[in-house]
Amino acid sequence: MAALSTDVLVIGGGATGAGVAWDAALRGYDVVLADRFDLAEGTSGRFHGLLHSGGRYAVKDPHAAEECIHENRILRHIAADCIEDIGGFFVTTPFDDPEYADRFAQGCRNTGVDCEEIDPAQALREEPRLNPGISRVFRVPDGNIDVWKTVWALARGAQERGARILPYHAVVGVHRNGDVVTGARVRGHATGEEFDIAARVTVNASGAWAGQVAEMAGIEGVRVLPGRGIMIAMNHRLVNTCINRCQMPTDGDIIVPMRTVCIIGTTDEHTEDPDDHHVPPAEVDQMLDDGEKLVPGFREARAMRVWTGVRPLFEDAKASDTQTRDVTRAHALLDHAERDGVQGFVTITGGKLTTFRLMAEDTMTAVSRHLGDERPCITKTEPLPGSEDRATYMLGERLQRKEKHLADEQLICECELVPRWKLEQAIERRATTNLDDIRRLLRLAMGPCQGGFCIYRAAGILHGLDGLSAEQADESLLDFLRERWKGTWPILYGDQLRQARLDDWIFQGILDVEHLPAGQPEAVAT
Amino acid sequence: MRGALNYDAVVIGAGTAGLVAGTRLAEGGARVCVVAKGIGSTHLAPATIDVLGYAPDRVASPSGVMPEFISRHPDHPYAALGVDAVAEAARWIQSRVESGPLAGYRYFGDLDRNYLLPTAVGALRPSALVPETMAAGDSADLERVCVVGTRTLRDFHAALCAANLSKLGIQARSVEADIEVDKADQNSLGLARRFDDPAWRAAFAGRLALKLQADERVGLPAVLGIRDPHGAWSDLEHRLGRRVFEIPTLPPSVPGMRLYEILRASLRAAGGRLVLGAEVVSSERDGSRVTSVATHSAGHDTRYAAPWFVLAAGGFNSGAIELDSHWVTHDRVLGLPLRGLPAEGEPRFIGDYLAEQPMSRVGVAVDAELRAEGAENVLVAGAALPGAVPWREGSGEGIALASGSRAAEFVLARAGAPAGAAA
Amino acid sequence: MTTSSGTTPIDDLLRGSIDHCVKCTICETQCPVSNVTPLFPGPKYAGPQAERYRVADEASVEWSVDYCSGCGICSQSCPQGVKIAEVNAQARNKLKKQKGYPLRDRIITRPTWLGRAGTPVAPLANLTIDFKPIRILGEKLLGVHRDAAAPEFAGHRFSSWFKKHPSPPTGRKIVYFHGCGTEYYEPWEGQKVVQILEHNGFEVVVPKQDCCGLPLQSSGLFDDARKVVLRLARALVPYVRDDPNTLIVGNATSCTLMLKREAREILSLEGDPDLKLVSERTYDICELLLELHDRGELKTDFQPVNERIFYHAPCQQQGHFIGKPALDLFALIPGLQVTEGNARCCGIAGTYGLKVEKYDIAQAVGADLFGQVRGSGATEVACDSETCRWQITHATGHRSVHPIDYLHRAYGL
Repeated sequence: MAALSTDVLVIGGGATGAGVAWDAALRGYDVVLADRFDLAEGTSGRFHGLLHSGGRYAVKDPHAAEECIHENRILRHIAADCIEDIGGFFVTTPFDDPEYADRFAQGCRNTGVDCEEIDPAQALREEPRLNPGISRVFRVPDGNIDVWKTVWALARGAQERGARILPYHAVVGVHRNGDVVTGARVRGHATGEEFDIAARVTVNASGAWAGQVAEMAGIEGVRVLPGRGIMIAMNHRLVNTCINRCQMPTDGDIIVPMRTVCIIGTTDEHTEDPDDHHVPPAEVDQMLDDGEKLVPGFREARAMRVWTGVRPLFEDAKASDTQTRDVTRAHALLDHAERDGVQGFVTITGGKLTTFRLMAEDTMTAVSRHLGDERPCITKTEPLPGSEDRATYMLGERLQRKEKHLADEQLICECELVPRWKLEQAIERRATTNLDDIRRLLRLAMGPCQGGFCIYRAAGILHGLDGLSAEQADESLLDFLRERWKGTWPILYGDQLRQARLDDWIFQGILDVEHLPAGQPEAVAT
Repeated sequence: MRGALNYDAVVIGAGTAGLVAGTRLAEGGARVCVVAKGIGSTHLAPATIDVLGYAPDRVASPSGVMPEFISRHPDHPYAALGVDAVAEAARWIQSRVESGPLAGYRYFGDLDRNYLLPTAVGALRPSALVPETMAAGDSADLERVCVVGTRTLRDFHAALCAANLSKLGIQARSVEADIEVDKADQNSLGLARRFDDPAWRAAFAGRLALKLQADERVGLPAVLGIRDPHGAWSDLEHRLGRRVFEIPTLPPSVPGMRLYEILRASLRAAGGRLVLGAEVVSSERDGSRVTSVATHSAGHDTRYAAPWFVLAAGGFNSGAIELDSHWVTHDRVLGLPLRGLPAEGEPRFIGDYLAEQPMSRVGVAVDAELRAEGAENVLVAGAALPGAVPWREGSGEGIALASGSRAAEFVLARAGAPAGAAA
Repeated sequence: MTTSSGTTPIDDLLRGSIDHCVKCTICETQCPVSNVTPLFPGPKYAGPQAERYRVADEASVEWSVDYCSGCGICSQSCPQGVKIAEVNAQARNKLKKQKGYPLRDRIITRPTWLGRAGTPVAPLANLTIDFKPIRILGEKLLGVHRDAAAPEFAGHRFSSWFKKHPSPPTGRKIVYFHGCGTEYYEPWEGQKVVQILEHNGFEVVVPKQDCCGLPLQSSGLFDDARKVVLRLARALVPYVRDDPNTLIVGNATSCTLMLKREAREILSLEGDPDLKLVSERTYDICELLLELHDRGELKTDFQPVNERIFYHAPCQQQGHFIGKPALDLFALIPGLQVTEGNARCCGIAGTYGLKVEKYDIAQAVGADLFGQVRGSGATEVACDSETCRWQITHATGHRSVHPIDYLHRAYGL
């Protein structure tokens, strides 16, 4: 592929990077975004989906709390379709310090986080699965945000304004001409082909990998402390409101209803490697115990999938490596011209998903300076594609849609109500053979059967639509199964084990996928 | 008034193993009741009689390989059962199929040679006995095949199937058949009903024939009739003028449902009773014997007392054996000791999806006669047994048939005069 | 544990049970409705699958769950113990509450009103039931299909007969819950039940009683259903509270199922101690007689009954999860030849098949059964539920009676 040339090169396609691309495109800049894998495959796609009200930080980090509530309101206005207005409770359980509740309420007042104390009996009426021993409850405007929907809406919005979005293009080198960063070299995952992207400004939005990318530009000392945490998705919504423990932020203190599941999280262990995705068994047990505290009977409910996310915690000064929770949560914008004397390069890292728009805005402010061309930011008001009607997402949407087309839309993923036409459209638009990419786009195979029924169907459709070889289709299928297993086996007990056994029967027993023919060229019958 | 209903034997579980045990007990003159939480594995499995497919390499002849397999796996159910028992059970099921409610329907094959049948994704799967409706798919003499799919059935993808078969030296291609249905979410059962209708079949065959080439067999998804598979399949062969075979695919398994109907009819004909929706929730014991089980029923539990019980309630798949969130495994039905659990501290599962998992062979601990170690009057059959990985070995039905038969045989030999001839 | 909202662990039991669903499709293969019409997408879809999309305080977005007939075969067949039909029933309740209840659903769900109104004027009332123009009018005004099987009023009430024929005191009391069907439409069935019980040494007690609320529940009028069933529970419980050996027996198998299980599960009444006690003591008449027999306590002085009959176990009898005790009772009667049907459902599903928009579906559902009946060569059809009997007679022309009729005949009572 020939070299590309652009105004702004964004490295990293998480919420921040996509937000920068969107902001830049709205300002009329030419943008190229590159991510080594699928968009939002890094930290953004691996968290629990909480749209912070800020209550969590009201005592611990008031500045962060203010940022959160401010951005919360903005996002509800511009990304309404990606957000579900579930509301949140902060609850004092028998395991929490009752003193904290008043500090919490005061903290919310101080930071502008809407907070209303309600009678625990009322909370239990709304959420009957909650621990009946809760003594105090505060209602806050938490929401959930569908990250993949958001990131792809940002990307699409940028594309509609001319941006080029390049998932599966890893940066293999950052070009530096003296003290000026002039762009980067990328390698395409599908073909292995490498090409250069020349940019007037390069934005390092690679989150937990920001240090590695900065090093490629010859910049030392961008120290990002990866904090790994696990999250477990439970098969159905045990609660429909976000439930927070009313205490200082700690492990396992939140359950977030997200689409058809609810997610408990999380832990916080320092790791050296931002690609460290192993799930420690002790953390799984801890999450289940923490779940019991909020929802008695949690351990009898069905755990469906576990995954890890790595938080990008930035520290400028020396800090302890083992406990990352106390490192500042506000984001860090590093203008390397000021910091290191290197022009044309900025790093944005840290932060939390709720403030991605603000992070992008700050980034573009610095980028504009580099470009010598101040253009106004309009992301506070411009709706993302799909959110023009400003209506927040309702959980029943997919069901409502299917009910309207009951007899004429064929469901491929029944658990998540994904119709065939939508799958075919996604395959055509993304031009990918990776069923996990499709999964992230559509929630394919993200329900209780975890692809037991839909993955063979999807592989067959993929094979037909894309004119894939049998090998490619088989590889897609097997890759999916291997990838899925990683998120299954550490929490495999109870009902999900029953499911896994049925899925084994389907794939290994009925389909016999492990004995698919390998390597031989196709003998095409005429 | 908390009495129990008395039987000569109570079978727990209505999958293949349970229905075989119940039927053979009833045929032997015992008063039998089969209690089950619900319908079992029959509706999900392809309904080929898989005896031994992989050991771990592909097996051409189960009877030839079994002795060596048994010596390598002394804890496997086949070690307790032996080849002859499996062969006898296979012959028994063949005869019940032939004398059953589906006129003309039969199974072909024996333990000496595995068929190699295409799967819905185009791999080849070894099976010892197969329904007549599948036999023409045997890759041993499959040179040219046209795999027929339809957009109507999302559970079968002919092009992918044919593409993979092509890599095995079979000249395989695919066509799409036009089938009109009244709803987009059609499953195999809905199509199978249409194939039961001769007029519909005639129209279908007429349209399909136009797309076929000379000398190619026709492979369809397993939808060739639920009430009259013999009629549907032979009619299609006749109309299309060539060999036709069906390919098992995602559940619901129509061939499996046929097998269920056959077993159900055999049980009924022999006077056995079946109670569905009856999950065993407790049991009573007298020393080392189980004296009765209580099943969940509306309002108050129902108790079933018998001198003999057959535990055929499945393994992890049915929840009969459960690994809970504290990582403790137990038999939820009778609380019997288990075997095959990884040692303390050893991993239960490993990250390689296609490797054999450490928890694969867990089952209810049994002695050499397949009696539960925890209860001398409980026989264990089917997926509840330890020592096997049926979905990888291709041994599910072989184990179910033989162990269900063994349980019945054991009980009948010791039952003395049965309490009363079955009504 | 009851929370302040009155929701109880049973709600968790229903919604929690969806965690057991492994999407195996077995329920779909058994559903008699989804297999004949595309209007109902099937139990897996409507139950555990759609439930993940339902939020208690958000409006219902569905319509198709209204086509679930509530037969419960899905729950019986599910190998994982998912409470599918029960989840569907609750979803339907929410939907109906939102949409509003048609006048029809307020009337046909109250057999007591209809019974009390129709009994004194039975001959006239029965004429209107058979008079086509009135039926057509009824269809247009109320939505009750003109051809739907409607029973005839008996003209006298079972309870009136019993008042004049109290049981001889034997000290061995048993409470008889007769249900609206027996009371207003088939009082002779009640007479037979009483005579059989008396023959076996019971002293039958018939408390003042009313409807069990099942028709209200299955049409989604939960608040009214709760009132009605709790009133019945309060009426029955004094008779069983003090003596642990006193049982309640009924011949209306859907009504006994309502008391035993459905009211507790579907109406979220698990916390009511009266209902709980009543449900534990309630027996279906065949269930009771078989248990007696198994203990050697049933009189078996049966004379031959030389009939060829067909037995259909209604869905709501299968929903007791006790198998088919009627079959074992038939086996005790010399000369009686029984063909056991294996059709799933007759289609009426209580009041479902009466409704104009569901009538055709109900007839399609029952077609398999009707065909089996006709092909069996049997002269009569035994069936435990009155609404099913009326449906079967209406469709096949065969006489249909409760299984205990044959015992009654064999006893020579």
